[in-house]
Amino acid sequence: MLQFVARRLLEALVVVFLALTVVFALQFLAGDPVKLFLPTDTTQKEIEEFRGRLGFNDPWLVQYARFLRNALRGDFGNSLRQQEPALALVMLRLPATLSLSGVAMLLALGIAIPVGVISAARRNSWFDHLGIGATVLGQAIPGFWLGLMLIYVFSVWLRVLPTGGRGTWLHFIMPSVTLAAFVAARFARLTRSMMLDVLGQDYIRTARAKGLSPQRVLYKHALKNASLPIVTLLALQLGQLLGGAVITETIFAWPGVGRFLVQALLNRDFPVVLVGVFLTAVLYSALNLVADIAYAWLNPRIRYE
Amino acid sequence: MRGTALALLIALLLGMVGNAPAPTAAQDRPLVIALGAEPRSLMAMRIIDWTTNVQQMNIYDRLYYWDGFPPRIKPSLAAELPQTPDDLTWIVKLRPGVKFHNGEPLGAEAVKFTFEWLLDPRNESHYRPRFAFIESMEVMDPLTLKIRTKEPAPILRYWLVDFTVMAPGYVRSVGNVEASRNPIGAGPYKFVRWDRDERLVLEANTGYWNKPPAIKRVEFRFIPDFSARLASLLAGESDIVKDVPPVAVEQVNRSGQVEVRGVASSRINYLALVNFKPGPLQDRRVRQALNYAVNVDEIVTNLFKGRATRIPGALSSINENVNPNLKPYPFDPERAVKLIKEAGYDPTKLEFTLDSPSGRYPLDKEASEAIASYLGRIGIRVRVVVNEWGTHLDKIINRRTGEMFYLGWGPALEAQGTIAELFRTERTYSGFGTPNLTLEINKAIPIVDLKKRQAAWHRIQVMLYTEAPWIFLWQQHDLYGVNKRVKWEPHPGEKIFLHDASWVQR
Amino acid sequence: MSSTAATLAPALTEPRRARRRLPLNRSGALGLIVVVLVAGAAVLAPAITPYGPADSDLVKTLQPPSRAHWMGTDQLGRDLFTRILYGARVSLTIGLVTVGISGVIGLVVGLISGYLGGLTDVVLMRLVDVQLSFPFILLALVVNAILGIGLQNIILTLIITGWVVYARLVRGEVLALKTLDYVEAARALGAQQMRIVVRHLLPNLWTPIIILSSLQVAQFIVAEAAISFLGFGVQPPMASWGNMLNEGKTYIYNAWWMTTFPGVALVLTALGVNLVGDWLRDTLDPRLGP
Repeated sequence: MLQFVARRLLEALVVVFLALTVVFALQFLAGDPVKLFLPTDTTQKEIEEFRGRLGFNDPWLVQYARFLRNALRGDFGNSLRQQEPALALVMLRLPATLSLSGVAMLLALGIAIPVGVISAARRNSWFDHLGIGATVLGQAIPGFWLGLMLIYVFSVWLRVLPTGGRGTWLHFIMPSVTLAAFVAARFARLTRSMMLDVLGQDYIRTARAKGLSPQRVLYKHALKNASLPIVTLLALQLGQLLGGAVITETIFAWPGVGRFLVQALLNRDFPVVLVGVFLTAVLYSALNLVADIAYAWLNPRIRYE
Repeated sequence: MRGTALALLIALLLGMVGNAPAPTAAQDRPLVIALGAEPRSLMAMRIIDWTTNVQQMNIYDRLYYWDGFPPRIKPSLAAELPQTPDDLTWIVKLRPGVKFHNGEPLGAEAVKFTFEWLLDPRNESHYRPRFAFIESMEVMDPLTLKIRTKEPAPILRYWLVDFTVMAPGYVRSVGNVEASRNPIGAGPYKFVRWDRDERLVLEANTGYWNKPPAIKRVEFRFIPDFSARLASLLAGESDIVKDVPPVAVEQVNRSGQVEVRGVASSRINYLALVNFKPGPLQDRRVRQALNYAVNVDEIVTNLFKGRATRIPGALSSINENVNPNLKPYPFDPERAVKLIKEAGYDPTKLEFTLDSPSGRYPLDKEASEAIASYLGRIGIRVRVVVNEWGTHLDKIINRRTGEMFYLGWGPALEAQGTIAELFRTERTYSGFGTPNLTLEINKAIPIVDLKKRQAAWHRIQVMLYTEAPWIFLWQQHDLYGVNKRVKWEPHPGEKIFLHDASWVQR
Repeated sequence: MSSTAATLAPALTEPRRARRRLPLNRSGALGLIVVVLVAGAAVLAPAITPYGPADSDLVKTLQPPSRAHWMGTDQLGRDLFTRILYGARVSLTIGLVTVGISGVIGLVVGLISGYLGGLTDVVLMRLVDVQLSFPFILLALVVNAILGIGLQNIILTLIITGWVVYARLVRGEVLALKTLDYVEAARALGAQQMRIVVRHLLPNLWTPIIILSSLQVAQFIVAEAAISFLGFGVQPPMASWGNMLNEGKTYIYNAWWMTTFPGVALVLTALGVNLVGDWLRDTLDPRLGP
């Protein structure tokens, strides 16, 4: 087991390293960002001087080596736009993204699992059909459209919710619903199908025959055994949520990492983009690692491959 | 186990909710200005960037500012306009009794300190190249500063406008990093706090040299997406939003509590006709023809619904140095065709690429397409390439645009900042240059005598009119969405200085 | 990385064969109808509407739905219904082209990786993992920002970010197929690699690829809409449902039609394609799914 974990950890590290290298290389394809950060009346000579000071004139191998060496120390350089350490700037926005994703995930699970379980228990009832319809719709509606419609209805028309930003718990509602919709739909479907699989098994019939109450059968026996794929999907979906947060944060002006990265991309602020990519790769790899370990732990057959 | 986890989660969430603005009584509510980005720095005289400067201005105040219609320079922190006893000497007198927010006095020492700070390469100020011509500064008395320049530099008169002053004692004691996190200025508003990506909160400075501002609290909120800014305006969350698109004006005015207040900006929009590479645009007749071929008035009426003001030449009518005798090119497609043929070209065989930004200036892309379609009517094929802003600037700086590009420039309240930057080949954003023009421009730059200077610029504007380096377009109208409860008028200088703002008394 | 957790495909014990009967259930039929409608709209657009998608009439801006303009006009006086039809073209093109090309690339890489194994497999799969270590939308944004905006570039972006899913799937299938008796027998008999691949592996790969493709089409269409919505992808005046939503959101207050109709079109199309995909999966491979 330990060997498995160690191997996966090593692989994750390699992945993060490669990801950083690729983005580092890509920034040279995107044109020269330095000029964009200087005022319009800067002469060519001054632009060159500025580039030299920032180290952009060194051969790319030197720049790469320097980049790696600094990255290991946690120094990703200064944001070109704000001249403050890029890492610190991104970290400042992390709590906002985490809180939104956390709330969205709780919301999604809180709705999806009960819906999935009950749909499976009452297969082909009106509840089941309604549930399936809702999940199919939930997976088809793009998040950004849902967000727009919510703002229109609740902020502009009904005037009960704020249009965006962060402040009170009211500000959480629309962004987290927008984020949660797709994830909830996915989870509900998965829960339902896993539960159906499990409910058809022999040991469930045995439990019922033994006279155990239907609730007990449902939750204690069925759900526990169906939870394996759900748990693994959880870790992966959390990663997806962080990606989905990019659009949600932009629509709702939520001060998170996603919105910050999109702005940095538009502004060609590459030190910040690099940090964002690095953190995302680390987070994603960590979540995938956790998912793998959890899966292997819960399912010993996979462990030894 | 479940209970503790839940409790922990709730605590974490509450900690992540951020600072909720406290509900306040009507008169205490802050004036909220929704901006698209947060400041790049709160350190004075470091970054040249509209968003940054608009916010800093309210904290630091400035030596001089543009005031009135048409805009003319007036002193603010200074006591009077600068004097020039000779071509190389400038005397700046400061207003007595001005104090920084921390009690430090603002005098000639502070101004000298600010100059030295920005001239120090270690501070990496964008302003350093601008003031490179300064040779020495001398404090003549606590309120008078004498500046000597290496060569005649009349542009200094304009560089002193919007010049913010920093507190020497404060900056020396806490250093740059802290001074930019907790700025101390002498302006009408004091810094309270800056929640990254969310808001900048300021409160009124009761010790301001002028009467204290009527509005006690000001908040700049950062909402990158324009439609979200508009939503916050219409929902009553924000009070002032800049750059309402011309097509949205009706809906804003119909909302009841918000209205659009527009002003003909000092920022001009133009279509550059690049003459760097050999081709039809190196012939002045072709360039003039393009001016005749486009019905600019019709674009202003139909596309902008009148919310743009045509400029006859390179400078707008509110520019201090404008030549008032120039009349815009009339719409004359036949003359256009004639000129092109005279130059030896067949209009139906001409093909140009037009680079346009998208949404950076009001209806920029749509105007570019309209221009292309007018040129199409006389047979010229124009391909409009729409660029994302960063790419657009990149192309212009690296001379990789097509034969034409759309750009805006401002605030353009005097001549040198426009003409010397855009019509000399080696300047960063220029799309045009001829040896003759460069010669004349270089001769005009050092003229200190105001009358002679004016005459020189007037002459150059006539040259530019004939050379037609642009299709001359318009002053854009800055359209501000403003809540009716706010008493504040926009200014063509594009600054949002809140000292004069107040609530409408019911 | 998570080659185990991500693909929940159970081990194969015998080769799959495509089902001969394709019973049509209600939802599958609904999906098929929607897809046919969208395809029809895309192909027949010029015949259905007299307006062009870029025809701007500055006198008739922001008009509500009427007899002359079934879905109203936008801020430049362009007919919305027309732009929705032409937007179908963009969505369909993107869906088919990106799925096609990324599918082929993924197929080849997955085949090579799974069949050859060893170092090749490790290297290729690390590459796949690197790409999968990013949220899709972020990766697409970064690539798009570097490549520039426009239809070709968004297709390129989606191909670059999309092939990995195929590669992963194909590799998994090939790994399982490799262990089958008759494949091992063929290898033992010394049959040529290419022959093995073509005659034994490929036929069993079509089914999972088709199923995956049908789901990917919807994902790509929505991804393009999202990227165009953020301002990066397809640029106006070319009509894409995503950039129509982007332009429309500024006028959401009194031109509700500008955000409603493109959104509905997007949802219906994604829905239809998803339903068809589900139906395909249910018919071709009843082991998976509810």
